[in-house]
Amino acid sequence: MNTRKIQTVKMPNKKANTRLFSALCVITALQLGGCANLGVQPWERDLLAKDEMALNADAVDIGLDEHIYFSKEGTSGGRSFAGGGCGCN
Amino acid sequence: MRTKLHVLIFITLFFTASLANAAGAKDFALTDYHSSEHLVSLNDFKGKVVYLDFWASWCKPCRTSFPWMNDMQAKYGEQGFEVISINLDQDKSSIAAFLKSYPASFRILLDPQGEVASDYELVGMPSSYLIDKKGNLRKTHTGFFIKNKPEYEKEIIALLAE
Amino acid sequence: MQLSKSKKIGALLATATCTLLNAGAQAQETKSENDWKFDTAILYYGETDRVSLLEGVISATKDFGDQHILNTKLVIDSLTGASATGAVAQPYAQTFSRPSGNGQYTTSPNELPLDDTFRDTRLALSANWTQPIYKDTRVNVGGNVSREYDYLSVGANVSAERDFYNKNTTALFGLSYQFDSIDPVGGRPIPLSTMVVNNGQFGAGDAGEEAFEAAFEQTRIDGSDDKSTVDALFGLTQVINRRMIVQLNYSYSNSSGYLNDPYKLLSLVNENGETQSIVHENRPDSRAKHSVYAQTKYAFDNAVADVSYRFATDDWDIQSHTIDSRLRYNLTETDYIQPHVRYYQQSEADFYRPFLNEGEALPSVASADYRLGEMTAITVGLKYGHKMNNGHEWGVRAEYYQQDPKNAGFESIGVLATQDLYPSVKAFILQFNYNF
Repeated sequence: MNTRKIQTVKMPNKKANTRLFSALCVITALQLGGCANLGVQPWERDLLAKDEMALNADAVDIGLDEHIYFSKEGTSGGRSFAGGGCGCN
Repeated sequence: MRTKLHVLIFITLFFTASLANAAGAKDFALTDYHSSEHLVSLNDFKGKVVYLDFWASWCKPCRTSFPWMNDMQAKYGEQGFEVISINLDQDKSSIAAFLKSYPASFRILLDPQGEVASDYELVGMPSSYLIDKKGNLRKTHTGFFIKNKPEYEKEIIALLAE
Repeated sequence: MQLSKSKKIGALLATATCTLLNAGAQAQETKSENDWKFDTAILYYGETDRVSLLEGVISATKDFGDQHILNTKLVIDSLTGASATGAVAQPYAQTFSRPSGNGQYTTSPNELPLDDTFRDTRLALSANWTQPIYKDTRVNVGGNVSREYDYLSVGANVSAERDFYNKNTTALFGLSYQFDSIDPVGGRPIPLSTMVVNNGQFGAGDAGEEAFEAAFEQTRIDGSDDKSTVDALFGLTQVINRRMIVQLNYSYSNSSGYLNDPYKLLSLVNENGETQSIVHENRPDSRAKHSVYAQTKYAFDNAVADVSYRFATDDWDIQSHTIDSRLRYNLTETDYIQPHVRYYQQSEADFYRPFLNEGEALPSVASADYRLGEMTAITVGLKYGHKMNNGHEWGVRAEYYQQDPKNAGFESIGVLATQDLYPSVKAFILQFNYNF
């Protein structure tokens, strides 16, 4: 009697990574291509300028949570805090 | 021969007109924040050097620019200098709260739809425009930087000297 | 032992705080904009019957004008309680040696073996400096150091971001390097070596003790080992309209060196699922991770919604999905509530084994750490915040976090079928924060 896993069909890593990369390329291309048409005028950023709309809002809370999940789970990271906000200066 | 002359005159006029438009700051007619009785227009200030500043209550660098603009108005007002600020808040009630913390001794006009901001082709907040005594747009500044305050002041003095 | 550590930490904390405050003392301007702003928080994390954590954070930020911003952060945390070692429960009592070799602990029948020697305090300091370097371009540089009893970590990071299209689009590129040095209690166990347990086989008295210690030492490697991690991050933020902003990040991470958890074990069981010996785990000495992260923030009239999704995959074969959502709802001008829901799912590492089989050849890498196994986890929480008249803010957050490890397809042979090999881990989180 062995402890081998019941055969689960899993995609080999290489294929998963290629698919991931392709998806990324498409999304990024769409993002960049469509960028010129999206957005607001500089004076229309009143809501975006709110503290709670900042990407780094609740940074302390998020930092504490990330520490917990980093310690208790197999994956960590991924976030960044650039952009958005008031857009001033 | 006459056709060529016509074309030449037309081209000259066209370019002169364009130059005139590019140099002349666009006029506007906006309500004053403090008294909504009559509209204020840029033409009212011909003969004065005007510092036109576009701001909003949510714009953080504006908090630093207000004390400086108060200073400039106090210092150079007598010499024919006028600070005209144009507020772009969509919600008028935000202005009162802002002015409580950062009072203004200069004129505040309201442009909630951003029409004048569009006319002046604003690319960032805050934006300031220096207009000379003849009503021509001479300098454009995007953003307000503490390190540039001396430079901004020099520009005002230069235009007042003209 | 614990008391002297606290004293040391106390002194460190005092020095750090003084440094923070003194740095702000020189450039006192009348405008409140350029004063130090503090975000502080204290958090309690408690698992039922397992680990408890108490963590304090002080984050101080100062704008030196024209967006030259300094942030410094101090974190102290104290961990106590028992952690699952990876050994399986048995219908009999089990005895294990402590990682230090000084003493042992016994697990009752039908109970999951937990090691309660974890009493550790960590101190972490970080600093970040941001400034514009060119029109529409900003750079950020930072460093961090973190210290606990058996662990030292130092790192640096640098990133640059640039705005396009009237600041409607922002692109970010960041790099970071982290160096960790691990000096485990009792030295590092030799990978996949058998744990030496004193069941009396070494004889009685001091001679017996010495014989045990000698045998124990045979399974340990003295000194510290280290690991290096390099991270690269590409980010794109886009303003969609007056109410909405989206972000898309891709990050790559590569770690190499000592990636083992020196305190984790595997049970070697016979055909009947009975533990014959305990073996120390071994993980590969490198790990390459990719992750894609997408986030949206939407401003309603009286609320802000924040929803994000992260997909991660690595060469340990762990793939995970994370959906995180928060809704900040403004009750009044000064009060808000923020419900929070998070769902996490991961697949097991290819070297994950809930236990090892005596009959089979010992694999070169294996770990029974449930944190590398298949699992789902859910977090549900609520935060309440209040802004006071003087501009200070306080908030309280309560959350419930439950992890459900799953059987990734390993047959629970013999007596193991009577045991709960994948128990849920339930935790409560309580946080109080104060910003001024």
